[in-house]
Amino acid sequence: MLRTLIGRELFDNLMTFRFAAAVFITLLLVVANTVVLLKDYEQRLTAYNKAATESHEALREEKTYARYAGALIVHRPPNPLSIFNLGLDKQVGNKIEVYHAFVPTMWDAEKHGADNPFLNLFTSIDIVLVFQGVLSLLALIFAYDALAGERERGTLRLVLTHPIQRGYILLAKYISAMLCLLVPLLISLLLSIILLTTSATVALNADDFLRISGIVLTSLLYVSLFYLIGLCISAMTRRTSTALMLCMFVWGVLVLVYPNLILTAVEITPKPDAKISVYNQIKQTWEELERKKKQFIRNDTVLSLPSRGGEDMDAGFGLDGVEYTFWHDEDKPSILLYFHQTGLYAGKIKAESEPQVPHVQNYYSFYNRETINTVQRTWLARKPALEAIYIQPANLGRMLLKFSPVGLYDAATEAWAGTDLEGIQDFFSTVQRHRRAVVDYFYDKKIFESRQWFAADKGTADWDALPQFSFQRSDTGINAKRALPDMLLLLTMNVILFTVIVLIFIKSEV
Amino acid sequence: MWHIAKRELSNNLNSLRFALATVLLLGLMLTNAVVHLREHPERVKRYRENASNHQNHIAAHASNGLYDLAQEGPGYLYKKPSDLRFCAEGGEAFMSDRAQAGYHRWSTDTLKSFWILAYPSATPNRDNVRPEVTKVDWGFIIGYVLSLVALLFTYDSISGERERGTLRLTLSNPIPRHTVLIGKFLGAFISVSIPFILAVLVNLLVISTSSGVHLDAEAWGRLGIIFFVAVLYTCLFLALGMLVSARVQRSAVSLVILLLVWVVFVVFMPSTLASIAGRSTSSGPTYDFSERSWKLHEELSSDYYSRHYKEPEGSTKRIEIDGEYVTKDAEQQEQLHEERLNRRIAEVHRARAITRISPVTIVQNLIESFAGTGFERHLQFLENVQTYGREFRTFIVDTDSADPESLHIFGVRTGMSQEPVSPESVPRFEDTLNLNKDFNTAATELLLLTLFVLVLLSGAYLAFVRVEV
Repeated sequence: MLRTLIGRELFDNLMTFRFAAAVFITLLLVVANTVVLLKDYEQRLTAYNKAATESHEALREEKTYARYAGALIVHRPPNPLSIFNLGLDKQVGNKIEVYHAFVPTMWDAEKHGADNPFLNLFTSIDIVLVFQGVLSLLALIFAYDALAGERERGTLRLVLTHPIQRGYILLAKYISAMLCLLVPLLISLLLSIILLTTSATVALNADDFLRISGIVLTSLLYVSLFYLIGLCISAMTRRTSTALMLCMFVWGVLVLVYPNLILTAVEITPKPDAKISVYNQIKQTWEELERKKKQFIRNDTVLSLPSRGGEDMDAGFGLDGVEYTFWHDEDKPSILLYFHQTGLYAGKIKAESEPQVPHVQNYYSFYNRETINTVQRTWLARKPALEAIYIQPANLGRMLLKFSPVGLYDAATEAWAGTDLEGIQDFFSTVQRHRRAVVDYFYDKKIFESRQWFAADKGTADWDALPQFSFQRSDTGINAKRALPDMLLLLTMNVILFTVIVLIFIKSEV
Repeated sequence: MWHIAKRELSNNLNSLRFALATVLLLGLMLTNAVVHLREHPERVKRYRENASNHQNHIAAHASNGLYDLAQEGPGYLYKKPSDLRFCAEGGEAFMSDRAQAGYHRWSTDTLKSFWILAYPSATPNRDNVRPEVTKVDWGFIIGYVLSLVALLFTYDSISGERERGTLRLTLSNPIPRHTVLIGKFLGAFISVSIPFILAVLVNLLVISTSSGVHLDAEAWGRLGIIFFVAVLYTCLFLALGMLVSARVQRSAVSLVILLLVWVVFVVFMPSTLASIAGRSTSSGPTYDFSERSWKLHEELSSDYYSRHYKEPEGSTKRIEIDGEYVTKDAEQQEQLHEERLNRRIAEVHRARAITRISPVTIVQNLIESFAGTGFERHLQFLENVQTYGREFRTFIVDTDSADPESLHIFGVRTGMSQEPVSPESVPRFEDTLNLNKDFNTAATELLLLTLFVLVLLSGAYLAFVRVEV
């Protein structure tokens, strides 16, 4: 019996204009956008490859270890799944220095190349966004007259004269409509995957296909939820035109209005004065280091001689052969970043200055160790402050968005694609571990106190022996774990709504 | 005709969609007003503080003499926030609210780099990891919500009557068909306008009665134009709705077509087109700006050092070489900055030209222009900054030539006038909004929008005249 019902419903749906229009529009939008997004991805990948090679070569031009500041740069590759959900992949910087004088975070990262900041004026798009708008609309268009229409035409009464449970009728309607909605979803996804695989630059592995199926599953839950919303409205109203109007307004509110309205209305920007105090605290810690440094030089019998520049590092400790002194500093109160480093670069140190060299080495051993301690101390203050300023408002915003199915769908697909906040943070924690590894390597090999730290005459820096940076996107299991809560919420909403519809339908008079 | 309009109106006023549209528009407009009242005073206050910092900067350096003033430059120049920001956010969060006139780039024992005009290269919003949403401003309410409402009011205006058979009844009366169409159009227009006008009135009432925000006569004029644009845009969608409704037999089909057209043209087209435009442009030259800047400076300074030491210390010739070095460097660097800015602006112009196919982009651009926000406004600000930069330079030259004891060599302390400068005489930067200029940039878009409306209206007319009942 159920099969007969499903067959009838399916036939009814497949022959309609709306089904043809649904397939056509979804295909058109998804394919057009996939082409655009693919080109965009390829471009980002080219920029990444170019930048990675450039920094690889730039580092090898440096002769002393100290000059790795600003030259040891790691790059974030674009995520191929960002075609499905762009998330933060394009927004967050993709080029970051690894240096012992600060802990790298996503706010310290810069963008590749000659990006035009004005282009941010234009909104970006991805495949999930297309599904989000179009599939939800289509689901409502399929659902609005499912019960109200039959009631109006009188066919519902006819169907109910047969000895069938009312729940079965609903189930048949649900299954057949979902089958119809699956067609545009799957065909368009298939086409976009074909487009992706034919492109030479996109390399999708088995894990990526698992993630894509996660996205498909989430899309299915999302579409089904909107179909059930439509069905619920249809079950409650007497006339199709009323049902249609209600459906459209519900769609407008859930998809279009609510996400924008809630984030406009709720103020989630942090208080700026909270920042200032932490920033000052960080700056003070660094100034303390500066004092300690001067104290150390004063205590050193050789380096503190006035003829050697005394406390003034710029004089190069009177080393003959110093080509120039440099300082490396950052002062960005908005991201609570402050550090200050001084150093010198010596080409060939003359013989008469040789007795000073051990003292300078000793000084650097002290200075670098103290710098790392200072960074550790400031990080203790900077990390929670950054969380409070940037992460918490962002999470609050995402949480508020989740009151609409759109927000849940976006969050879950973002998690599957790995372009969500956590996925991006994975990269930066890898960079932080890499910094730690480099520092450990410098400690192990006694590079901080070596002559090669500042001089290039007796052996130069060996960059190839440095720990290599590699970043792997998180396991599919982790993606799934991050997506699961939102998917479960979607599922629960589906179940609840279906139960409600059954209850309404059973009680309703025909 | 009025009879038909009145009938339409009374039909609509009692309908569910009218109630829903009123609630939706009122809620959105009210939120918009409340958010504006919360944010705008803060913005104005910040601008005032920044502007007074600029004044102080000039005063501080003027008292140190002409060289100091000429070397330091006028400091940060700030963009004045528009009082009509609630009409269009215009991506202001992605554009810097200031330009920098003068910062320290290099110094030698005797020389310091001169000020140049520079423009921030990164988005001020870059550090933000919050989810991206469109702010609910008038542009959003009109562009997305009002257009959807307009379609929902017209999708069944003809096909619905045909289904019910009342169309045949109406046409059996001795009325020409175009009168029926105009009557229906007017009826739908008035019924969409009522909730919109109501919402706008509530919005303006809340904003204008608050003490924190002040709207002057010009602002009201601009609001009038924005309202006119909104009306024109609504007509576009009403005409589209009637066109499809006249062509299609069943109203359900009519709505499906309309919604899909709306989703494609309003929701997705702007972003897709922008992605295409943004992509094609950023594939241009990717040479590193700082590298080029550094190279230019290096060339200049090596040339300078070769000439500098040939002249005896303290001679006028040497001062002249020094001055030439400093001024030439500033000129080159400023030109470089301007080139980069112009290239970026050209990219955005190209992208905006492409996205103009979508009516929602047109209407949002128009609202932006008249609200004094967005990209065109930013260009106006940059132009103001450049004009001021020239004015400031002229002032330095004039003050210097007024002093007979000066050597009139710019760029070096000893070459310039040593007389004190009165801080009051130094020109100050004041950002202004100019309505005439807005009108010029908006004229093409206004024309395009009108054209769209006319085409669709005549299409609806033709379709209705030929339709068989």
